Amino acid sequence: MKLGLSRACFYSSCSASIFSSSIPSLTTIKPKIPLFLRPPTYSVASSDLQKWHGWAKSLASSVGSSFVESDDGPDSTLLCRELNWLLEDSLENRSSSSCFSFAACNYDSLDGIENVMLRISLDDLYQLWKQRIEERRPFQYIVGCEHWRDLVLSVQEGVLIPRPETELIVDLVSDAVSNNEELGQGLWADVGTGSGAIAIGISKISRSYGRVIATDLSPVAVSVAMFNVQRYGLQHVTEVRQGYWFEPLKDVEGQLVGIVSNPPYIPSDNISGLQAEVGRHEPRLALDGGASGIDYLLHLCSGAAAMLKPGGFFAFETNGEKQCKFLVDYMQNDIAGSFCNLNIVSDFAGIQRFVTGFRQ
Amino acid sequence: MSSLIVKRSSSRFSHVDFSKFHIFLSLNQNHKVLVSGLPPVLIKTIKNPSWSYLSVSRYHNFAHLSGKDKVLASGFRVLKSLFSTQSAAELSTSDGITVDGIVASNWTILDESESDWKSHAAAIAQSIQVIKRRLQWKKLMVRLDLLSVQLNKPDLWDDPVHAGKISREHGSLMAKMKKVRALEQELLEHIDMIKLAREEDDNELESEMLKALLQMRRNSNEKEQEALLSGEQDSCPCYIEVQAGAGGTESMDWAKMVMQMYKSWAQRHGYGVTVVDEMPGEIAGIKRATIKVDGEYAFGYAKAEAGVHRLVRISPFDSGKRRHTSFAAVAVIPILGDGFTHVPINESDLRIERFRAGGAGGQHVNTTESAVRIVHIPTGITATCQNERSQHMNKDSAMAVLQSRLDQREMARQAQVNAHHTQSLTDIGWGNQIRSYVLHPYRMVKDLRTNYEVTNPDSVLEGEIDGFILSYLSALLDKDEDCRNLSA
Ligand SMILES: C[S@@+](CC[C@H](N)C(=O)[O-])C[C@H]1O[C@@H](n2cnc3c(N)ncnc32)[C@H](O)[C@@H]1O
Repeated sequence: MKLGLSRACFYSSCSASIFSSSIPSLTTIKPKIPLFLRPPTYSVASSDLQKWHGWAKSLASSVGSSFVESDDGPDSTLLCRELNWLLEDSLENRSSSSCFSFAACNYDSLDGIENVMLRISLDDLYQLWKQRIEERRPFQYIVGCEHWRDLVLSVQEGVLIPRPETELIVDLVSDAVSNNEELGQGLWADVGTGSGAIAIGISKISRSYGRVIATDLSPVAVSVAMFNVQRYGLQHVTEVRQGYWFEPLKDVEGQLVGIVSNPPYIPSDNISGLQAEVGRHEPRLALDGGASGIDYLLHLCSGAAAMLKPGGFFAFETNGEKQCKFLVDYMQNDIAGSFCNLNIVSDFAGIQRFVTGFRQ
Repeated sequence: MSSLIVKRSSSRFSHVDFSKFHIFLSLNQNHKVLVSGLPPVLIKTIKNPSWSYLSVSRYHNFAHLSGKDKVLASGFRVLKSLFSTQSAAELSTSDGITVDGIVASNWTILDESESDWKSHAAAIAQSIQVIKRRLQWKKLMVRLDLLSVQLNKPDLWDDPVHAGKISREHGSLMAKMKKVRALEQELLEHIDMIKLAREEDDNELESEMLKALLQMRRNSNEKEQEALLSGEQDSCPCYIEVQAGAGGTESMDWAKMVMQMYKSWAQRHGYGVTVVDEMPGEIAGIKRATIKVDGEYAFGYAKAEAGVHRLVRISPFDSGKRRHTSFAAVAVIPILGDGFTHVPINESDLRIERFRAGGAGGQHVNTTESAVRIVHIPTGITATCQNERSQHMNKDSAMAVLQSRLDQREMARQAQVNAHHTQSLTDIGWGNQIRSYVLHPYRMVKDLRTNYEVTNPDSVLEGEIDGFILSYLSALLDKDEDCRNLSA
């Protein structure tokens, strides 16, 4: 907490100003429609599309393993797979993208088709793929969506692209809820919701009874999260509020049955060395966790003690083993008596990633 | 023996109120009956009165039963289960001709265009025998009797899962049996009618019946083919897996060609194809790949492809332009539906790993690579999926592959004869060659099991493999029959 104090003050003052001026500004931030949801209004000769595809493929191949070597970025195999997905999202008829993507890459089955309908102009396709390779713009910003669990979430610049690791938080909640009915019927919070991923994931679990409030400081995140909540028809169970961590939740203090969060946890010093897709394109507000990366996590732990009902559950994502152990130690010693059944859970790469526990 | 007289004209018969007729038949099995309002007479003999039922339902061709008739048909099944002598029934015409009798009398089979009823009848009777053989008729009847006995046990439903299984199997065997009975019935009735028409000099009826026989004859080929796929799992979707043999890029390229052959074959059949897992070769081709083939009878056909496929050609990867021989192994795994029993999987027996994971992960990394591998620790069986766009979906999909692999392993364990199409990739020995594709010095594809061959390899590699599949499946079933006769 000592570490985070100055930063917390900075952000809270900043949030206050955003908050006061944000009611009108929120409505002016219109979330971008992901490519696959746009109307297929562009008629393109299939031979022209093939030309583009050939060009894009060779651009992807030219990358080889150079990105891998420089910053663990994508290799050309992965880029080629992304290229197929870009086609899949662009074409009106998804299945015809398989004519392109099949291993042999033969276009025979398209020969009979003169024109294909696209959701984007050919010029834009050239533009986007150039950005992907030359600027390392994340694939998910290019297509405007990320497939996460069984959801397809809209994302855009200014919002963190949800990570595969984070999918597990929903499973952790699901396990907790299935062991305790009360948890499934109460009020949950996802703080720092970004695209709304976790909030939507857990809303779908407790759909019939529970309710979820999602918060974020970033106005872009708030409007994208709202868009996603609406797309899944969850606006009756999932509410999105803007503000600094628990501040927009003052009215429900002590009433939450669960809190989940994936707050920024990367140490500030590491930001400049991040993979280009992350460091150059994703919002720093979503990544930078202060000098040791743990500032917000500590803030959330102590906040959770006040926000949760006795017996309430929490799950936080962390930077790895060091932060997990630090948090558990903090909860067992510095704020002893607040939490019990603390547990560290690993992700599928075997990295200790999550801390879970219950309010005593 | 009871005889039953029903007046009818085949063309008008379908308009009869079926439900009334049903009551009428069951009440009057042992009497000669004249149905008012129904035109000319047909006399028919049925050795087992319970079959009279089929004589009615067959006009409503089972495949096209309307909702109402279905109710009736299943009501019949209940009725039937009270009889245990069904397998003893043999159908005949009024003057005692049976289907086996027709085959035995060796009537000459002429070309379809010849209007000769005996020729048509003989061809149809032969088809019926083929179908029966393929369905393993005797075994089927014994099994059906056994199941009927079990179904009649009063305590059957004490174990609902078991009962469900028994009644499903009974239902499915019953349906097969009825289809054949209906064919036999139809044939014999047509013969009766023709004889009758001749006696009464009714030319119109005779030519109508002749036409009906011809139609039956034309349909019988398709029915023979259907009977090839009567295995319990044949109608399931499946996974097809291809693995490159030793020999580097050349054999990886071959593995890719083989996989492409199956993708094209599946697409030709209108099956859905998804790549579940693919491990590309360094320079070209694939080391290994798994596709999912979705659609009716995908497994029934594809299982014929399991084994090692051999290629001989001048390798495009050899600067010396030498001839190379490469191998690719193919395994086919059925995806069993809800009606089947699955091997239970314990969550705690699984290890789920992220593929190609490295570095700090989490917020540090943005990647669209979300492949996972699931290891079933007790058996060491693994499954990988990488084609889905989220880790969660990859995990689901890998779980489905794992389940099918475990089910297949269990099936192989249970099977007395370890048919190789139940084998997994790791069990298929490289010596187990089933087909040879030669592109040089001559051009030919030859199946080593059936000697079926084709001289245009390109068409085969473009997915025209039905000839190979069908000839293998018929050979397989004929062989099965021989084995049983020997052991009987
Ligand atoms: C690592 S991202 C996680 C986003 C999302 N939960 C996910 O897992 O994809 C952290 C999120 O916290 C938000 N955030 C950062 N500082 C915040 C603050 N002081 N109060 C509320 N949210 C904040 C960021 O805008 C960002 O959306």
